[in-house]
Amino acid sequence: METKQDKPTPTPIKPLRLAAGAALGALNEKYYKELGSAKSEGRPVIWVTSMSPIELVYAFDGIPFFPENYAALCSSRKVAEELCRAAEARGYSQDLCAYALCMFGSIFEKKGAFGDEGPPAPDILLATEGACATHPKWWEALQRHFKCPMVIIDAAYTVDSPTLPKHQKEYFAAQFKEATSEMAGYLKKQVDMDKLREVVSQADSASQLWDEVDAMRAAVPTPISQIDVFTCLFPLVTLKGTRDAVEFYKQLRDEVKDRVNKGIGFIQNERFRLIWDLFPVYHNMRLLNYFAEFGATFVTDLYGNAFSGRLNPADPFGSLAERYLSFFMRAASQGKAELYKRRARQYKVDGIVFHSNRCCRCFTSEQPNIGAILRDELSIPSMTFEANMVDPRGYDDAQVKARIETFIEMLEAKKYPKK
Amino acid sequence: MMNSEFYEAYRNKHKLAEGWKRSGKRIFGYFCNYTPEELICAAGAIPVRIRGSAENVELADAHMPSFCCSFMRSALDQALKGRYNYLDGVVFPKTCDMTRGMYSIWSRNVKFPYYYSLPVPGKTNDAAVEFFIQELNLFKESLEKYTGQKISEDSLKKAITVYNENRKLLREVYKLQLKDNHALSASQIFGINMAGLIMPKEEHNAMLQKLLQNVPAPKAPPDGTVRLMLAGNTFENIEVLQAIEECGGDVVIDDIDIGTRYFWATVDEKQEPLKALSERYLRKIPCPCKHPAEPRLSHMLELAKEYRVKGVILIIQKFCDTHLYDRPWLESSLKEKGYPVLVVDHSDIGWSGGKFKTMVAAFIEMLG
Repeated sequence: METKQDKPTPTPIKPLRLAAGAALGALNEKYYKELGSAKSEGRPVIWVTSMSPIELVYAFDGIPFFPENYAALCSSRKVAEELCRAAEARGYSQDLCAYALCMFGSIFEKKGAFGDEGPPAPDILLATEGACATHPKWWEALQRHFKCPMVIIDAAYTVDSPTLPKHQKEYFAAQFKEATSEMAGYLKKQVDMDKLREVVSQADSASQLWDEVDAMRAAVPTPISQIDVFTCLFPLVTLKGTRDAVEFYKQLRDEVKDRVNKGIGFIQNERFRLIWDLFPVYHNMRLLNYFAEFGATFVTDLYGNAFSGRLNPADPFGSLAERYLSFFMRAASQGKAELYKRRARQYKVDGIVFHSNRCCRCFTSEQPNIGAILRDELSIPSMTFEANMVDPRGYDDAQVKARIETFIEMLEAKKYPKK
Repeated sequence: MMNSEFYEAYRNKHKLAEGWKRSGKRIFGYFCNYTPEELICAAGAIPVRIRGSAENVELADAHMPSFCCSFMRSALDQALKGRYNYLDGVVFPKTCDMTRGMYSIWSRNVKFPYYYSLPVPGKTNDAAVEFFIQELNLFKESLEKYTGQKISEDSLKKAITVYNENRKLLREVYKLQLKDNHALSASQIFGINMAGLIMPKEEHNAMLQKLLQNVPAPKAPPDGTVRLMLAGNTFENIEVLQAIEECGGDVVIDDIDIGTRYFWATVDEKQEPLKALSERYLRKIPCPCKHPAEPRLSHMLELAKEYRVKGVILIIQKFCDTHLYDRPWLESSLKEKGYPVLVVDHSDIGWSGGKFKTMVAAFIEMLG
C-alpha cells in the first residue's frame, strides 16, 4: 500500500558566506578601474566573445572586455531590460541573445551598468565561432557601429568525437596565429612570445585551481553554493592569464578545502544533489537559494568548466586551440550527456535542472534530448523552466517556484520514500 | 499553367522519392545550401533537401523548445511522422546553431542508418578553403564507406557538370524576368526552384530545357504592377508569392536560400573537383552564417539594379538568429541605396495570409 508523502516545505536558510568574496569584490573593482583608465594609459581595449583567447589580449598588454559578462552585470544591477528595449527600438529582435541586446542598448544609449556611460570603445573586436555561430554576427554589428578592426577566429569542428581531429586542431591553431599577427598589425607591435608563454602558464594555473574547486564539490555535503560558483567565475572569465586570478583561486581553493576537511556544507541538511544546466538567471540569482530551502544543492554544472582548461606554455597556440574547442563546447547532445553521466556518478547526483534560456538556441535546443538520455540511461529525473538569462521580462517567478516544488516532491518520493 | 508540373512534383516529393527508393536508389536528405550535393550525386544517390510542411507541428515539441525556428520544428516533426522514411540518412552542415543542434536530435529520435555532421568553416578565405577540402574528402570517404563504392574523379566531375547545367538553366529562367513583360510569375518560378530541391538534377534539367524551349509569349503586367525583390529566410508556402501577386507586386528576383543564394554560383570545372567545390560553396553568395557578410549585400544591390526593382520584401523567420542580426543593417543599407524595405516576420505570413496581404498592399501602394 502506498503512503502519501508529506509535501515538502521550504525552510529559510543561511548560506555560509565565502571569505574569498571580499577578495573577489576587490578584483572586480580593480578590473573596472583599469578598464576605465586603459585609454589614458595607452592600453588597447579588446572586446572579446567567450571562448576567445584572452591570453592573447594579455600577451599584448591589452585589457579584455567581455560584453557577456557586462550584460550579466547589467542584469543583476537591474538595467538590462531598459537596454534590451533600446536595442529592440533599433530593429534588433527581442528573440536575439540578451547579452547582445543589452550591449547594443548600452552603446546606443551610452548607458552602463554603474549609471555611467558604459565601457570604453574597443580598439579591436575579437570574436570566435567556438562557442556559438551568433557571436561573429553580433561582433559584425558592433563593428558597423564602432568601425574599428575586427578579428574573427573561425571554428569548424566535429561534434561527435571527444578528440579533435588533427586537421581541425591545426586549422584552429593556425587561426590563433593568424589572429595574433592581425592584432600585431592593428596594434603596431609584435607579440612577446615569452610574455605569451608566461600568460598561458598563469591561465593554466588558474584553470588547475578552478578544477580543484570543482572536484571538491563532489564532497557530501557540497562545500560551495552555485551562486558562489557563478560569482567566482569572474576572474576565470576576465582575468585568466594574470597573477591576480591565480592568487584568488588559491585562496578560494584553500577555503573550500578547509570546508571539505571539516565536513561543512554551504547549507545544513543537504538532502538532494543536483546538476545545473546551464546559464545563470542573472536577474534572479536568488532562485538558486529557493532550491536550497528544500535542502537541494547544486553540486556541478558544466558552465564553469567551459572557462577552465589546461594549457601547455611550451605549445601556446596548439594548447589554446585544444582548450577553446573543448568537447563540452562543441559536443552534440549524446556527448554532453556522457559528460553529465560521468558527473552524475562522481558527484552523486539526484537530478538535473535545465534553465531553458529563451534567447539561446545554441545551448538550449538540445536540452530535452540531453534530459531524455539521462532519464533513459541513468533514470535521472529532470525539471525544466523557461527564463531569459539577462532580460527579466516575461519571467514568472511564481510559476517557476511551483515547478520547483513539484520537482522536489518527486525527488523526495524517489529518494526518501515513506515506508 | 505550363510549368505547374514543377510545383506538382514538389508537392508529390515523398511519393516520387518512395518510387526512386523502390527502384533501388539511395536517397540522402540534407539541410542548407552548404551541403555539397555533388558528392552525394557522384555516390550514385539522390540528394533531397529537407523541408518543412504546412502540417501542424505535433511530435517535435517533445524534443525541442518552442523558441526554435518554425522551419526546424516542422522538419523534425515531418521526420518523426515518418514522412521521410525512405531516406538512407541525413547530412547536417555546421552553419547555424540550430542546424548543428538538430544533428543530435534527429540522430537520436529518427532512426536512419546514416547521419553526417559536416564541419563548414564560417570564413571564406584561402585557409578556410584549404580546410574545407579536407572536410569534403572526409565526407566523400564516409559516403564511400556507407555505399561500399568508390566515388571516382570522373563521376564527381560528371556530377559537377550536371549541377552546373542546372545552375545555368535556372539563370536562363531568371533572365526572363529582366523585362517588364514576362511569361512566368514569381510563384511559378518558386515552384521551379522547389522542384529542383527534391528531384535528381538530370530530371530537373530536362524539365527546365523543355520549359525554356516552350516559353509562352510574354504578357504585359497589369497597370501599376511594382517590381520587387524577395529576400531573407526559407519558407514553404507558395501562397506568399501568390499573395504578393494579388497585391500588384511582381517578384522578379530574390535573395533567398532556395533561390539565387542556392544556384547563382557555379563550380569551376577546370579545377581539381574538391578544391573547386570548396571554393564554390564557401564563396557563393553568402548566407548570413558566413563572414564577411558584405558580399551578400553587394549581390542584392547588383540584382536590385539589374532587375530594376522598386523595393525589397525581407521575410525573416522568428528565432532565426543569423538573419535577425543582419536585419537592421540590411534594412538601412538597402534604404540608403533607394530601395524601401518591408520586413515581414515569418509568423505573420500565416496560411490565410490576411495580415501579410495587408502589409504588402500598403507597401506596394507606398512604392507605386
